[in-house]
Amino acid sequence: MRPAATATAALRLRAAFLSPPPPPAASAAAASRLLPRRPTASILLLPLRRLCSVPPHAVGAAGTGSSSQPSPVMDAQFESFRAQLDESSTLRDRIRAVVSEVESASRVASAALLLVHQPVHLADVLGKAKAQVEVIKGLYSRLAEILKECPGQYYRYHGDWRSETQAVVSMLAFMHWLETGGLLMHAEAQEKLGLSSGEFGLDVEDYLTGLCFMSNDFPRYVVNRVTAGDYDCPRKVLTFLTDLHASFRMLNLRNDFLRKKFDGMKYDLRRVEEVYYDVKIRGLVPGESKQEAA
Amino acid sequence: MLPLRGCHRRLLSLRGVTAPSLLPPITTTPTTSMAAPQSHSHPAKTLRASPPPPSTAGSAPKRSRTMATDAAATAHSASAGCSAMKAEFAKHAEYLNTLNDKRERLVKASRDLTMNSKKAIFQVHRISKNNKEEVLSKAENDLTVVVNQYIGKLVKELQGTDFWKLRRAYTFGVQEYVEAATFCRFCKTGTLLSLAEINDSLLELGDKSVEPLQINVLDYVLGVADLSGELMRLAIGRISDGEVEYAKNICAFVRDIYRELTLVVPLMDDNSEMKKKMETMLQSVVKIENACFSVHVRGSEYIPLLGSSADPDYSFFGASDFDQ
Repeated sequence: MRPAATATAALRLRAAFLSPPPPPAASAAAASRLLPRRPTASILLLPLRRLCSVPPHAVGAAGTGSSSQPSPVMDAQFESFRAQLDESSTLRDRIRAVVSEVESASRVASAALLLVHQPVHLADVLGKAKAQVEVIKGLYSRLAEILKECPGQYYRYHGDWRSETQAVVSMLAFMHWLETGGLLMHAEAQEKLGLSSGEFGLDVEDYLTGLCFMSNDFPRYVVNRVTAGDYDCPRKVLTFLTDLHASFRMLNLRNDFLRKKFDGMKYDLRRVEEVYYDVKIRGLVPGESKQEAA
Repeated sequence: MLPLRGCHRRLLSLRGVTAPSLLPPITTTPTTSMAAPQSHSHPAKTLRASPPPPSTAGSAPKRSRTMATDAAATAHSASAGCSAMKAEFAKHAEYLNTLNDKRERLVKASRDLTMNSKKAIFQVHRISKNNKEEVLSKAENDLTVVVNQYIGKLVKELQGTDFWKLRRAYTFGVQEYVEAATFCRFCKTGTLLSLAEINDSLLELGDKSVEPLQINVLDYVLGVADLSGELMRLAIGRISDGEVEYAKNICAFVRDIYRELTLVVPLMDDNSEMKKKMETMLQSVVKIENACFSVHVRGSEYIPLLGSSADPDYSFFGASDFDQ
């Protein structure tokens, strides 16, 4: 100890203040960057600084363990986080690639279904759409395959296919109604998408939202059917939509997206009622008058 | 047909108001059938505010909203398809009810977890130069209670796919717990409590039949991001208590975390929340750095007052200390 005891104590503190975070190796450089402003001090300081930086624990922690150097443990942890998150975003990219195919296939199918508004034979319309359904089914099986890699994490990536799936359900349910006049049940929808077995299923809320979307198609459909001379159509649709709406009312919904969509359904219902009214009041409904009078 | 049925119901409810006795439905139907002809001519208008039928009690303006779609009103028009639909939706209703109940329970547990983790954090903040051991051991006890009581609740609810499905319901509680646990650990050892350590400590929760809860990377990182705010408060407190070195350690620690997290943020699933936290975190870092800067620059004014060490201290007099 060459300098006086008071001076060492002072310098030790000084060193600590001058270079809080950098590791001891860098502290001399940091100090020299700071020092030119005080030329008198720099001459004296440099050798003394070296002395001070010999025992690093002296300048380090006051009770809490020094972390003036990035801890390797912390580094390792965050490194592993990055690896994990990287992996999950790769997975997500793969999912998104498939989902965008689902999206375009379902768009083609919906576009094909739009022909129901025109005087085209129903079987032809459905034929085209059905071909796409098979494509979509294949895509969902690929999606399920990808999700097998991360069991239990269906809902982690759910947002990536949610809206596309809702559109698909809407399209399927509309097709099903055109074919049978009935509602596509959840299990049937799963069946059509090939999702009945395994962990990858059709989320019930997505299914229900899809049904709400489907109801948006009906007002236009009814108008065009009546224009094309099918006067019985409004009654059928009205019965169906009324039942569907009533069924939805059995659900206790939260204030979420589904609720909003369901709230929109009543406008479809009203529009269909109006069409039915218009048709009926003019006596165009076939075979209804005696039934109603009874 | 449907509106007529709706009329019955409305009249029933009106009757319920005026007459105290609960008339069985059958007794009212003959009187209400008066409304039938009117309703028949407007079957399509039930959702609109149609004019009230000329029946005795026909002045309910709101009737049209609920009638046509009333579950009971449509029930009797059941075709085979309708009852199948009802059965289907009954299933869904049950599913949604169960799910919502579970979500509510989780939200509640998460709030409790947040509240009690906050308490542990406040306990840690009561630290000072002389009572460190005591304060920290108390905080640790608090945390143990939090884990057993409130995280235990989460474990019970979060089975299978619920972990990710309902994440939004419980994530804030878990984040707060991560914050409290890492905060407590830092004050004790000056290191960052790792996710693996937290998850190991959660393994024993619940009995063997349920899967253990393992906090995911995202919640951990979000919790650690919040930690910076608490550390900022702690650093300011320590500085005003004269423990400048302690504050410097905190400063270095928070910088490290900030630096590590900048690399993690772009990889996170939904990083808008995290980006906000990073901004806050940077502010905290800057606040700590400014505080350290202040004591550094004006340390000569503070030290005699607060005295971080017993030794006489000349280090803040610039070059003057070399004159001795």
